[in-house]
Amino acid sequence: MGRLAIKAENVSKKYQIRQGLGGLQTSFKAILNAPFNWLMRQNGRYTHFHPSETIWALRNISFDVEHGESIGIIGRNGAGKSTLLKIISRITRPSKGKITLYQRVNSLLEIGTGFNPDLSGRENIYLNGSFLGMKLSEIKQKFDEIVTFSEIEKFIDTPVKYYSSGMYMRLAFSIAVHLTPEILILDEVLAVGDAGFQRKSQEKMGELLSSGATIILVSHNNNTIRNLCERTIWLDNGAIKMDGTSDIVVDQYSKFIREEN
Amino acid sequence: MNIIRRENEFAPIEIAPPSFLEFPRFRELWEYKGLLFFLIRRDIKLRFQQTVIGFLWIILQPLIQMSIFYVFLGVLVKVPTGNVPYHIFFLSAFIVWQLFSQIINLSALSLVGNIGIIIKCYFPRMVLPLSTVVSALIDFGISFLLLLLFLLIDNIYSLSFRYLLIPVLLVITTVFASGVGLLFGAMMVLFRDMKNLLGFILQIWMYLTPIMYPISIVPEKYQIIFYLNPLTALVDAYRWVFLRQGNLPRFDHLLISLVVATVLWFSGAIVFRSMENKIADVM
Ligand SMILES: Nc1ncnc2c1ncn2[C@@H]1O[C@H](COP(=O)(O)OP(=O)(O)O)[C@@H](O)[C@H]1O
Ligand SMILES: [Mg+2]
Repeated sequence: MGRLAIKAENVSKKYQIRQGLGGLQTSFKAILNAPFNWLMRQNGRYTHFHPSETIWALRNISFDVEHGESIGIIGRNGAGKSTLLKIISRITRPSKGKITLYQRVNSLLEIGTGFNPDLSGRENIYLNGSFLGMKLSEIKQKFDEIVTFSEIEKFIDTPVKYYSSGMYMRLAFSIAVHLTPEILILDEVLAVGDAGFQRKSQEKMGELLSSGATIILVSHNNNTIRNLCERTIWLDNGAIKMDGTSDIVVDQYSKFIREEN
Repeated sequence: MNIIRRENEFAPIEIAPPSFLEFPRFRELWEYKGLLFFLIRRDIKLRFQQTVIGFLWIILQPLIQMSIFYVFLGVLVKVPTGNVPYHIFFLSAFIVWQLFSQIINLSALSLVGNIGIIIKCYFPRMVLPLSTVVSALIDFGISFLLLLLFLLIDNIYSLSFRYLLIPVLLVITTVFASGVGLLFGAMMVLFRDMKNLLGFILQIWMYLTPIMYPISIVPEKYQIIFYLNPLTALVDAYRWVFLRQGNLPRFDHLLISLVVATVLWFSGAIVFRSMENKIADVM
């Protein structure tokens, strides 16, 4: 048994789907409508005004992740994969249960978020790095490596709005994997870019893994999962359907999807 | 390839359901001071990237307002302004109002404006509203120079110990504004059309503060109502410094203002923190 990196205990997440999301006007209407709805309910009649509807995006999820493990998460659209990653990344909080992080988490849920088009590549490296919770000294220490990996040396002082989309993605990816501390979380970001970039980023992931990083990644590409992850968790309708060796889980999942179609 | 290892200094983090009231975590904010610094730098860079226009816009706004009110209230209505011309009387308080309303506006809008990064990345959300205070203070510095220019032209300015009071007044003003900004920022999470209402509220707040008129034109028995607005006393104090009008602000009154502003700031921070975990879900 290795040391724990992440422990998830009975995590559930509820979302409210509000009609006419969050406006003052709608709220006033809701308040004004409330007595009428109440009266209607007293008469046992159908009310057309539902203030909110709830969705359980995650139901009672529990699992442990150890140092240096690489875990793939698969499941159909809407299964709750992104929600799980968002909770681990501390972007949103669970409605029930809890997750404990024993290592520092860094997440890349989307390439290039937090980039400011009007600022130079250099400025963006510092801004992005500090959004990701890095200290100035750490960013400085890694700066040259980031620039070299992204192959944008010549344009480092050019505003990123003049970058090609390839340059933009290389820079964003480079920041995340270089500043990355112990746990890296990726939500379908390895699927972007041209073939060359994809190969390079997969290589980088392999490198990170062999150096002992813990990785959790969501991908629709079964090969990516098989190549990079020893273990895979299959989410279905917010619950864990299967958790085990990648080869077995991915096979079962593919069979399930094939049978369903 | 070397990953920065800091396991030994990492205390486990628990991610649990939000409680009803959450308190600001100053230690964490302090850890993110680098982000605060780069956000402030970003704002300044972007603002002054088109140097001439950026700078012009900052001094044009008070100048335009000043001209309008000068014509209507100074020339046509002839509002009494004591020992100074109307335009200076107006400007001396308007730059304070600008600082105040800019902090509130920018703080309240900072969440919506940075929603892209909020839903993709964790950081204490409070750095966003807090970072706006510095840009507002820089703008204030520039409009302050403008006021100084007018004071020099009309020979009202004199180097004086009074100006030592300005930093104290600025602290009270920014803490007060930042608190209100945090409150509105939190409300913005729930009500997205709050933005329009905020503009309206600030407009009325400005009219109810003796900025374009002296408090003396308000009947004496109603003046106390105006002083319920902490900005009224603050504006008085600023005018005492800039224009040598009115009385020396009383120490105990300033202290009370500071305490009220601080209490307001903490309330704003608590409401903001309690609301911030909803941001990523509702946006
Ligand atoms: N902010 C939100 N508000 C309401 N419902 C949401 C929100 N985010 C996700 N959901 C719902 O939660 C469920 C899980 O979504 P998600 O985690 O994005 O799935 P996946 O990434 O596996 O496709 C979906 O039904 C989705 O509609
Ligand atoms: Mg998803």
